[in-house]
Amino acid sequence: MVTKVLVANRGEIAVRIIRACRELGVDTVAVYSEADRKALHVRYADEAYLLGPAPSRESYLRLDKIMDIVRKSGADAVHPGYGFLAEREDFAQACLDEGITFIGPKPSAIAAMGDKGVARSTVVKAGVKVVPGTEDVGNLSNEDLLALAPKIGFPLLIKATAGGGGKGMREVRSIDEMPALLMSARREAESAFGDGNVYLEKLVEGARHIEFQIMADGQGNVIHLGERDCSLQRRHQKLVEETPSPVMDEELRARMGAVAVKAAQAVDYMNAGTIEFLLDKDKNFFFLEMNTRLQVEHPITEMVTGIDIVKEQIRVARGRVLSYKQEDVKLTGASIECRINAEDPYNGFLPSTGRITQAILPTGPGIRVDTGMYPGFEITPYYDPMIAKLIVWGETRAQAILRMRRALEEYRVVGVRTNIPFHQSLMDSTRFMAGQYDTRFVEERFSMEELAESRKSFPEIAAILATLVAHQQTQRSAQIVRRGERDASNWKWVGRWERMHR
Amino acid sequence: MKYITTLDGKEYSIEIIDAHHVAIDGRVQEVDFESISGQPVFSLIVDGKSYESYVYETEEGWQVLTRGRQYNLTVEDEREKRLRAAAGSGVAESGEYHLKAPMPGLVVSIPVKEGDKVEKGQVLVILESMKMQNELKSPKAGVVGRIRVKQGETVEQRQALLSVQ
Repeated sequence: MVTKVLVANRGEIAVRIIRACRELGVDTVAVYSEADRKALHVRYADEAYLLGPAPSRESYLRLDKIMDIVRKSGADAVHPGYGFLAEREDFAQACLDEGITFIGPKPSAIAAMGDKGVARSTVVKAGVKVVPGTEDVGNLSNEDLLALAPKIGFPLLIKATAGGGGKGMREVRSIDEMPALLMSARREAESAFGDGNVYLEKLVEGARHIEFQIMADGQGNVIHLGERDCSLQRRHQKLVEETPSPVMDEELRARMGAVAVKAAQAVDYMNAGTIEFLLDKDKNFFFLEMNTRLQVEHPITEMVTGIDIVKEQIRVARGRVLSYKQEDVKLTGASIECRINAEDPYNGFLPSTGRITQAILPTGPGIRVDTGMYPGFEITPYYDPMIAKLIVWGETRAQAILRMRRALEEYRVVGVRTNIPFHQSLMDSTRFMAGQYDTRFVEERFSMEELAESRKSFPEIAAILATLVAHQQTQRSAQIVRRGERDASNWKWVGRWERMHR
Repeated sequence: MKYITTLDGKEYSIEIIDAHHVAIDGRVQEVDFESISGQPVFSLIVDGKSYESYVYETEEGWQVLTRGRQYNLTVEDEREKRLRAAAGSGVAESGEYHLKAPMPGLVVSIPVKEGDKVEKGQVLVILESMKMQNELKSPKAGVVGRIRVKQGETVEQRQALLSVQ
């Protein structure tokens, strides 16, 4: 049974999971680090327990402490969310050993798919095409990888074996730059996943990143909920996702969907998962990897299918059959998600930290915001810079874009810099509107400045604004000085003033 | 109060007459200016047109974000302007650049040594924050001066990391 769920995560996804539990009447247990005492997920949950200091290694990655809290709270299920321990087989196993439900796949499936090398060989056996790369991926040393690289051919990618989210990923153009990149990839993977193992994969150029949402129950039913186009990335971090993909047609969707289902079945998959593909210019597709967890971008699929994926996850974790058959899944309209990050797009996308002093969320038709922040919340340097997801739905792709533009304009976040201006430029770019982009588009062919140049300029308005604000500030500081100059105390002054006006 | 406001090398002389009137290069404009929800969000109505914007103070001056564009400006009152003119120009070009941490984080590596010659755009420090490694680059060519931090050190925002002469 699932009656009390411990959510082993933080931020917007913890809030998302707690919401599903609330609707199902399931109790929730939050865990938090010292930096997150005032976080929204802690405030929303029925119970909350401290894990430890702010760094993830000492808090959200502490499996032992989380299992202690499972026992202490009497939770009978755990939802891992994404990131942190979500793709750790030992976490799923620890839950099994404890006799509680892990809301996700079996440890064996996480092991098979979580280790990107095993995943590749498993799906190859099931007849699915993969991107060429290092076949035998275990603990290959730098020497081994350097020897294998020329055989795969450049350009190639170094990827973290335990990875996801672009962390520990490096692009290599030549053998000369490879040793240094291996070092930094391993370092980043080690700090993000606690596992510094990496492997190599050929870089498919001009490719789109298309993924399929999978849902599977324990009775052998596996369905897909259509695709998501996640090609808009920067440094291998997804920025914008949309469904349906502008390049998808019914026939291709059916074919890719069938392969995705087959890949999931190859590891006896259960619960929600995502099969990632690269789709080249000629519509050839290659299996990239499977994410054995809920995805950040799952809401866009929810918008077009009407299916609450988190609730469905809990349903199948309870041992029930899926509520839907493949033919029940209908895609209606189009949905786009923009990841709102605390980064300054005008300053090399440097992360921005600080206290959120004001946050005005967009509302109105077709808008959804998933976030863990609120005015007064502190954005710390310890975790991911993503502070919110802005999701829109429209009857058509064009309507969804117009709605996203409107929503981005309404969204006001004060206290940290955000990448909202970047998203605004992207929504205005003709390439995006035409759906003509690949995974390199943002880095190589997109310029915020160029787009800004094409917009109408208001130099005088800008000059007036800057001057008025500067003037206001000067006036204010002048007043502070004047108050201090008063010889009598303020109380005495008020007394005199009142007597005078009697 | 009179100000000299500069945008992309163009100077505007702006006089704040009262709460509702400014003169820009001698032309009087009626303005309706309100601060929204505390500091950086402002609403300005000029000639019936409404401009909502973020206005930030930076080390170099002011940053205005309105209608999808960013403007970098400096605002000086007349006295400041005279003082600067008296001090002579060219100070900024020959000066030392102090690289400060733009955010709190961990120094992952420092690919340069003291005394190294660096090009504009060369990576000086790699700083990890929010699980991402960020490359801090040199805004100008020069020679690396004193390095004030070590690899593996945790730094606070605005902490001085090194200088380029």
